[in-house]
Amino acid sequence: MKKGYNVNGIEHSFNLVIITFMAIKKFKVDRSLCIGASSCVVAAPSVYELDQEGIAVIKQKGNIKNSGSAEVKNLEDSSIDEKTLLEAAQSCPVKAILVYDENDNKIYP
Amino acid sequence: MLKTQYLIVGGGIAGTTAAETIRQNDTNGIITIVSDEPHRLYSRIMLSKANFFLGKSPFDSVWMKTPEWYKENHIELILGKFAVACDTIKKSIELNDGTQIQFEKLLLSLGGHARKWPADNGEKTGIFYLRTLDDAKGAMVAIKKAKRAVCIGGGFTSFEMCDMLKLAGVETTVIIRESYFWQPVLDEPSGKIIEKAVESAGIKIIHESAVKKILGEKNVTGIQLENGDEIPCDMIIVGIGITTDCEWVEKSGISINRGVLANEYLETNIENIWTAGDCAKFNDLLLDEYILLGNWANAQNQGKIAGLNMVGKKQAFQMVSSFSSHGFGLHIAFTGDVRSENREVIKRGSPESNSYGRIIIDDHDEIVGATFINMAKDLIPTAKLIEKEIKVLSIRKQLEDANQDLSKI
Repeated sequence: MKKGYNVNGIEHSFNLVIITFMAIKKFKVDRSLCIGASSCVVAAPSVYELDQEGIAVIKQKGNIKNSGSAEVKNLEDSSIDEKTLLEAAQSCPVKAILVYDENDNKIYP
Repeated sequence: MLKTQYLIVGGGIAGTTAAETIRQNDTNGIITIVSDEPHRLYSRIMLSKANFFLGKSPFDSVWMKTPEWYKENHIELILGKFAVACDTIKKSIELNDGTQIQFEKLLLSLGGHARKWPADNGEKTGIFYLRTLDDAKGAMVAIKKAKRAVCIGGGFTSFEMCDMLKLAGVETTVIIRESYFWQPVLDEPSGKIIEKAVESAGIKIIHESAVKKILGEKNVTGIQLENGDEIPCDMIIVGIGITTDCEWVEKSGISINRGVLANEYLETNIENIWTAGDCAKFNDLLLDEYILLGNWANAQNQGKIAGLNMVGKKQAFQMVSSFSSHGFGLHIAFTGDVRSENREVIKRGSPESNSYGRIIIDDHDEIVGATFINMAKDLIPTAKLIEKEIKVLSIRKQLEDANQDLSKI
């Protein structure tokens, strides 16, 4: 991330770097940590909602809703960008959203 | 004199979300956040969670933004300073060190401070509040050595702290002014369910009582109650609510009534000044009334809406916020407006079954809020019923029947 910033401090260029750099493949909600604060729903309403018990679930194609893991390519909202996905994960106050890259490495938290 | 386009006073979740939202919509405007804490945004919720407090997850998991995030988004962060005056004509804020900052648009996301416990005159060590990260840091060190603790207050802080003190093996006594836990937000049967669970874990609760004297020379060694009883302890945790310092805001001509008054767009009575989060007393469109709400989801969403309004994307704030807490084998959840005085309450389940809910109805025959113990499945369906503003008359039978799935209404 720093690499992008140092090369070019201009924000637009930087965002572009993030998009090619992060490559989120999948993510999930740890149901034992989630407290239903709904931060992810506020940050990315097309991706998350709370289930009946107030725990976050991910909206996927075919009306599938579960806490994941869910692959980005299977999301109901196919136009969602990675920056929003990452910010939604970062908005969780109990760090219950785990994000992975193509090699199954945890990107966040 | 510093100059900025967007000035945000308060660096918590409301203020930081506003900054983030502004930047998403205005790539060039100068954004400045002033925070009275010496830290960037962290998770206040994590402070009273066992994973963090008892050191199961790394300390750094508390941070919600990296220092780089502020740089990358060109957000100027002024830490450890607070506003003391606002000139709404010249559009400037004065900080405690005399710094003047001129703004075009201002957001007051002031949050709140832990309500000061009158018995604490600041002379003894071993007394902890749990509002800020620095408060928590002190308590996290103390809990490792503590053998006996006293919690003051019967709300969320005490409930969550009791759970952690128990996990840490600290003998704990809770002292509350009220006659049962969580009064008056919960009714007595709900309070008693919680107390039974807390007490069966070995924690002692003393009701309708207050501390007369804190014992000890320099460090706390115990407390003396008003009735003369003494309880030895080596740490005291105080959780008796929060207050917002609005004095300087009021002096500037911005309308105040226990919080910063705002319309449904979160605008104050002064043009180009908005408010969001725990300090905002806003016009709630669903309730048709001005209310103050102190929860994370509300603060985050208000930050987002205030940010949008500040960049000219006019949008009204409307949200039914919910929050829940786990501990002692109980799931406790609140949604919407849970004030029940002079309001009808429909009960679901029973205190005897340890599964008990209260649905609160206003005088327009609409659901405004609910409290649930071990009825997690009813939480979000009820929040949706609040949003829909359905008349209770037509669904009363279903609401009263605990076997009825509320999501099917």
